Amino acid sequence: MKMQGMVLLTYLAFILQTSLFPWLVPAEFSDRIIPHFTFVIVMYAALYHSRHSALLLGVGFGMLQDIVFRGHLLGLHAYTMGLIAYFIGLMLGGRRLTMLSALAVVTMASLLYDLAVYYVYEVFRFTSEPLAWALQDRIFPSLFLQLAFALAIYIPMRRWFEGMVRLKPKPGKE
Amino acid sequence: MISFILFIAVIGYSISRAGLTMPEKFLRDTTGYVQQWFYKPAGYIAGLFQDIGNLRSVYEENEQLRMTAAAYARDKVEYNAIQQENDRLSAALKFTEEQKKIYDYKYLIAQVVAVSPDAYNRTLTINLGAREGIRERMAVVTVDGMIGFISKVSELTSTVMPITSLNAEESGISATVLGKQKQSFGILSGYNSETEHLLMTKISAEDPIKKGDTVITSGLGNVFPRGMIIGTVESTQDSDIGLTRTANIKLAAKLDQLSEVFVVKTAEASK
Repeated sequence: MKMQGMVLLTYLAFILQTSLFPWLVPAEFSDRIIPHFTFVIVMYAALYHSRHSALLLGVGFGMLQDIVFRGHLLGLHAYTMGLIAYFIGLMLGGRRLTMLSALAVVTMASLLYDLAVYYVYEVFRFTSEPLAWALQDRIFPSLFLQLAFALAIYIPMRRWFEGMVRLKPKPGKE
Repeated sequence: MISFILFIAVIGYSISRAGLTMPEKFLRDTTGYVQQWFYKPAGYIAGLFQDIGNLRSVYEENEQLRMTAAAYARDKVEYNAIQQENDRLSAALKFTEEQKKIYDYKYLIAQVVAVSPDAYNRTLTINLGAREGIRERMAVVTVDGMIGFISKVSELTSTVMPITSLNAEESGISATVLGKQKQSFGILSGYNSETEHLLMTKISAEDPIKKGDTVITSGLGNVFPRGMIIGTVESTQDSDIGLTRTANIKLAAKLDQLSEVFVVKTAEASK
């Protein structure tokens, strides 16, 4: 039941970032501010729930994005999202992070995600723009958006995910 | 490590393969169905605020449109005469039925339902699919000009690859200059997001192309329709080895916040 709620929530975030959000940014910035709302939710799942559910969510919704917006490559977002979510969960999951450090982790992770996507496209020659330009043009402006979204959903997400963990305590965890 | 190998395998698979499998189609159509509930209302609300902002410029625009309408009425008379002449000549030269229909395009109105959240792959999803007769590599235009072509089709939705996301190998859209269709030829390849220019390459050294010219699709090869406006030439320069020239083109159509687009159905594709 709870896992279903999580999937539904992430699906809503996916719809929000693909169908609603393009209308919320001013037209001049639509190429520069690119939302990764599903990624932020996956990060919270990794931090406050478990790395396995984060891996599943990351791979699942990455794959959904890859298939729905099938462009040059298939599986790129599934791979990067799943991998980053799993390692963040492995390193930091289960620890009681404060709000600031959680936000810092989410920001770093989305920077890592953007860089990974950029490098894969560069390796396969789908883009030829220099990294400095990509950073300045879209990665940093988008980072602020990700940060704002992470801040906005921090408290409900944490309560919800931690409530889920508390409902079924696992042996070995505090 | 295993996941990395899997990743490379999936990517390799996706590069070599063109079509879509059943589960992929199903996922695309169901998601597209949900997305369309959100995209259109959001567009209406955003449009409302824009309209309020634009109220002041409406009067001026109206004035301009009236002048354009007058010019249109004048040109229409001339067009009819030329059209009749053309029909008579085609009949006299015994054109086959196929040759006559080659420039007979149909425009299908499509609603955009979603935009991809990936900077290097800004594909759009539209709500027309194979059921409505959409095929791969049909041109997609707005009232201002061409924005891209259909890259993937499933039953109810299809994916539009914008010309700004093209790389050199994939595109191969042949282009020419309005008014100099006979002398001018080039190939659109690649978009530079830094300067926001589309590159037109393989232009011969004698080409009369110059700054301010309107670039249109040439329709050579009959894959893309002819005469779709792409943009205006901003500058030209010699290429690296000096045998050909390249031109920087400013796009005519705006690619952000699209709500309605037209899919151009050529006679050949609709068979």
